[in-house]
Amino acid sequence: MKTILIADDSASIRELVEMTLRSAGYDVLKSSDGEHAIQHLDGTPIDLVITDLNMPKVCGIELLREIRSRADYATVPVLLLTTESQAAKKEEAKAAGATGWIVKPFVPEKLLSVVHKVIR
Amino acid sequence: MELASAVTQSYLTFRLDDELFATSVINVIEILELTRITKVPRSPSFMRGVINLRGTVLPVIDARQKFGLDKTPDTVNTCILVLNIQIDNEKLTVGALVDAVQEVLDIDISTIQPAPSIGSRYKSEFIDGMVKGNDKFIMLLNVSKVFSSEEVSILKEGYDMGENTSINQ
Amino acid sequence: MSNLQAVFLAETEELISTLESALLEFERDLSNLRTVENIFRVMHTIKGSASMFGYENLSNITHHLETIFDDIRAYKRQADLQILEITFRTVDHIKSVLRDPDLSQSENKIRQEQLLANIHLMVQQKDVRTSGPVFADSTAVINTYYIFFRPAEGIFRSGNNPLFLIDDLATLGKAIVVPIFRDALFSDNAQADLCYTEFEVVLAGGMTEDDIRDVFLFVSDTADIQIRHIAEGDLLNDLSFSSAFGNREQIPRTAFGYGIVASMVGAVQAKSTMSSVVAADVDRLGQSTSIRVSSTKLDELMNLVSELVTSQARLMLIAEQKGMPDLNAVSENIEKITRRLRDNAFSICLVPIEAVVTRYQRLIRDLSKELSKEVVFTTSGTETELDKSLIEKITDPILHLLRNCMDHGIETPEARRARGKKKEGTIHLKAYHSGTYVHIEISDDGKGIDPARVRSKAINKGLIREDAVLSDADIIELIFSPGFSTADIITDVSGRGVGMDVVRRNIEAVHGEVFVESKLNEGTQFTIRLPLTLSIMDGMLVKIASSDYIIPLAAVDKCFEVETRSLNGDCSQRLVLDGNLVPVFNLRNVFDEERSGLPITQVVKLNCEAFPVGITVDAIVGEYQAVMKPLGDMYQSQDEFSGATILGDGSVALVVDPSRFIRQLLSKSNIENLNKN
Repeated sequence: MKTILIADDSASIRELVEMTLRSAGYDVLKSSDGEHAIQHLDGTPIDLVITDLNMPKVCGIELLREIRSRADYATVPVLLLTTESQAAKKEEAKAAGATGWIVKPFVPEKLLSVVHKVIR
Repeated sequence: MELASAVTQSYLTFRLDDELFATSVINVIEILELTRITKVPRSPSFMRGVINLRGTVLPVIDARQKFGLDKTPDTVNTCILVLNIQIDNEKLTVGALVDAVQEVLDIDISTIQPAPSIGSRYKSEFIDGMVKGNDKFIMLLNVSKVFSSEEVSILKEGYDMGENTSINQ
Repeated sequence: MSNLQAVFLAETEELISTLESALLEFERDLSNLRTVENIFRVMHTIKGSASMFGYENLSNITHHLETIFDDIRAYKRQADLQILEITFRTVDHIKSVLRDPDLSQSENKIRQEQLLANIHLMVQQKDVRTSGPVFADSTAVINTYYIFFRPAEGIFRSGNNPLFLIDDLATLGKAIVVPIFRDALFSDNAQADLCYTEFEVVLAGGMTEDDIRDVFLFVSDTADIQIRHIAEGDLLNDLSFSSAFGNREQIPRTAFGYGIVASMVGAVQAKSTMSSVVAADVDRLGQSTSIRVSSTKLDELMNLVSELVTSQARLMLIAEQKGMPDLNAVSENIEKITRRLRDNAFSICLVPIEAVVTRYQRLIRDLSKELSKEVVFTTSGTETELDKSLIEKITDPILHLLRNCMDHGIETPEARRARGKKKEGTIHLKAYHSGTYVHIEISDDGKGIDPARVRSKAINKGLIREDAVLSDADIIELIFSPGFSTADIITDVSGRGVGMDVVRRNIEAVHGEVFVESKLNEGTQFTIRLPLTLSIMDGMLVKIASSDYIIPLAAVDKCFEVETRSLNGDCSQRLVLDGNLVPVFNLRNVFDEERSGLPITQVVKLNCEAFPVGITVDAIVGEYQAVMKPLGDMYQSQDEFSGATILGDGSVALVVDPSRFIRQLLSKSNIENLNKN
């Protein structure tokens, strides 16, 4: 079973994403901010990270940079939850090694299809 | 009262040397003054060439040669009869160069005599018959046969081209 | 016949020809739903207009036939050869019904009933398709794309996996994926976490270019991605294409690239005959703005243009005589306009040879069944255009030549195999422009013409004497002699009355020529050469003695002046022109004119035969647009003249047919030389 780490400060979105992914058969780890998410990078096998951009303490891009810097997580796909207005951030994220993005608001099907793009 | 009124038919008479010939006016489309004839090289000599008849190219046949007469220079009277002829069910228009056109005669068809099978200079299939004009016989021609024939002349065998005298004179 | 009805008939005939070409396409690929859609649509149109114009029988049978195709396109039944066969038969029947709408001829009536019964039976027997549709979306249009994908070397570092993307791509439709290992992969500096692989994919299905782009969404700005539409329909169905694209030595180091793939596509389309292209053209025609014009109106237009050209020549002559600069300017301007109008009117009357190719395909298909011979019919250059009246007149001669290829040329599959040939014979029709001529070549790879057999046949028929000395080429030419037929058994196909002499006569009637070349056991090639148009020609006006002649400008190479006294007065002599010894014919002599009294004679060098030939003329007047007029039956045997034209002054000039004329001159001079020797 594939494990997906979700990092988002909005509980409702976290729940929605978790529900969607679990119903599709994925195992889910949750964090409400970047700092907490980093704590999951402790050797636990993670197949995909889905993270919000704006989070308290450690933001999404900082989390991404941290992931890419860890030898054992460097190639884990990272999807960013963005809004249409964050085009500039998207460029920054891509430069930092983001795999792709999911534009909010999204429907569950869209989420799954993007996830399917990057993990099997 | 006569049982039947005389049936007449109109014929156009024309002259070649001293002889008179006639063709049914039905066959004659028009009479043209002599114009410049463009010769077609390497064609039989009785084919004088072609002329422009209001945009179409019309072949012109020298009747004198067809009738075995000597070549003579064209004169002011020389003209071209534009004729409708029929070859194998196909209509064709040709010009016939004749020395002069005489007149249109209404001929009572009962006066037409059959072409003599002997004593005539011409092969009988080309002659429909003959009638007596003032003092001469007029040959009624089957122009379709005369001008469609590929034979150089319609003279009978034994009458050489250019021979101008007839045996029964 | 009412005008509307005439329109209906013309339209229906056109639809039938579209239908036939769609059916031929259908035969090659029974699973192509696009073709089925096409066939259904055409039938539907025929049915609709037939019922409007009171062709009830036509409408009725088309309605029932249409049902079958409606079922196929709705996945309710599978297409099979039986359906194809009955459809072809019905199409033939429809053609007769068009001429006999009330089925007053008993054979038509019987055929209608038989076909209806067959169609009914077929409709009832439909086997419900158990397998799913070939393509997920039956309404989608199938297209084939070429995709090149070179991921950024660091793609793995962004967490993307190129294999997933290729996988996604493949789920869109049918795909052939060729991975390419770049040289860097094999270098010592290669790094394990970098990507050195690129991919070339040919993808076919109902997807759009956007669907494909979507797959690469996350890598679109870092990777090199090319997406090109390469064909309509499913190109992967073509085995020769898919194996050429897919089967390469091991794993290639370099990609083919779009250019090479595109040329492969071109080759496939040229090979697989024209019909799919024809269908595509029909589609395109539907979109372009075109109008239907009756051919009588076109003929009328051409006649008016011809009259205008003649009047313009007269105007120019008068303008020159009057010496008025203003009049001259106007006259020159009108000449230019006339020329453009003429070219324009010509082009309207041009029809691509393609228009009749369907008929040929149909003929070959039917004959190969009838004769149990396997034949691939290919065409090239069928976009070559020809005057519509010419096309009408050469359709039958070409049909006859193709029949001849099928009947006498192509061997049976067994005979071919015994000779070490592929069991399918090939017949190729090729058309191309050359100068003011259009050439149509019909070649086969059959058994060729055996000169020995032709010779003995010709002797039997009394065409040549037993001791005649003839080259093989001369002997093969004998097949064009009246009353010649090489078939030992008179077959139904080409032994039926019409011989090759008729073919030659019909082609010559439109001032064309037909040649044959043949190699025993290798094949035969017929070449038809036709003038581009029959009505107006650019010529050079020349004078010989008191007559004017037109020489087609296309045949004129160069003009030279020579002193008349250097001509010996014979029919022909050799002169040095441009450093070469060239046979020159003295036309004053040839045309039985007196010797020229002019000090200078013009020599016109013509190239229309294997070697250049000169002819002498008194003077060159200038260029002239000659409106061609027939010389008439009386001058049939003077075929060195292709016609005549009317000059500005109302007189007539003869138009020389250079190649015939020169051939006559050469054979004449050969005879003279023989006599001298």
